[in-house]
Amino acid sequence: MKRIVILFAALLLTCSAFAQNGKSIYQKYSDAENVSAVYVSPAMFRMIGRIPDLEVGDDNVNLSPVIRALTGLYILNSENPAINDNLRADAERFIKSGKYELLMEAKDSGETVRMYTVGNDRLIEGFVMLAAEPGEVTFICLDGQMPRKEFEELLARKAAD
Amino acid sequence: MKTLEEIENLSLEELEQKAAENAAPVPDGLERRLRQALAARELAEAAKPHPARWIPYASLAAVAAAAAALVMLPQRGPKDTFDDPLLAYAEVEKAFQTISDKMAVGMDIVRDAEETAGMPYNTFNKIQK
Repeated sequence: MKRIVILFAALLLTCSAFAQNGKSIYQKYSDAENVSAVYVSPAMFRMIGRIPDLEVGDDNVNLSPVIRALTGLYILNSENPAINDNLRADAERFIKSGKYELLMEAKDSGETVRMYTVGNDRLIEGFVMLAAEPGEVTFICLDGQMPRKEFEELLARKAAD
Repeated sequence: MKTLEEIENLSLEELEQKAAENAAPVPDGLERRLRQALAARELAEAAKPHPARWIPYASLAAVAAAAAALVMLPQRGPKDTFDDPLLAYAEVEKAFQTISDKMAVGMDIVRDAEETAGMPYNTFNKIQK
């Protein structure tokens, strides 16, 4: 009997581990009031990858290698003070459990921005941005197998624009 | 009445003989009563609810099946926000722009810090000239 209880506890722990990811956070908060949510599925990314000329708009920044490597995008922007703290706490728990590394942190005029990545020297398997300011929390989560060099160059070039 | 020393000096055969001479009589019906008591105990044991042997195995199987279902069944995901890949692409580009804008805030702070850190060095150089 004791063994069965331990097994059930292990199963519950496994379930809770499954629950903490970008998708579950998106599903939890996307329907809440004053929350704008965007989800782009792996299937949609495959369709984007088939667009012949991806270098739309800005000639200096080529998004295509990174976009073709993406498999999921979750964006939550909450201006609902009732859920902001929970969203932030869930995102931080997800970051901790997913073994994300802090890429950058900036604090300016009451706003805290943190960016995290998970992967290795060559590939980024996940990227999370969590920005919090009074009354607003933004959560962006990217999944995929993005070349680290191109991803970081892309962000740096866009930031310089 | 024998003393303790006398008893200790008796051989094993003598002790057995003495015990047989003074054997206590078995009460009438003892054997029958013992048999009845043992039978009653057996009946009571049989009536007790024993946990079936298959229950732990069935529980293990249920746990394994639940774990397998969690891993193997396709998880229902959220619905795509866009049907049009071009609109989705535009949103992805916007997301990258948002990330870059937030990163630029950090880079501005670093640039300001570099300028501030360079001031004493520049002042020192001017004084030297």
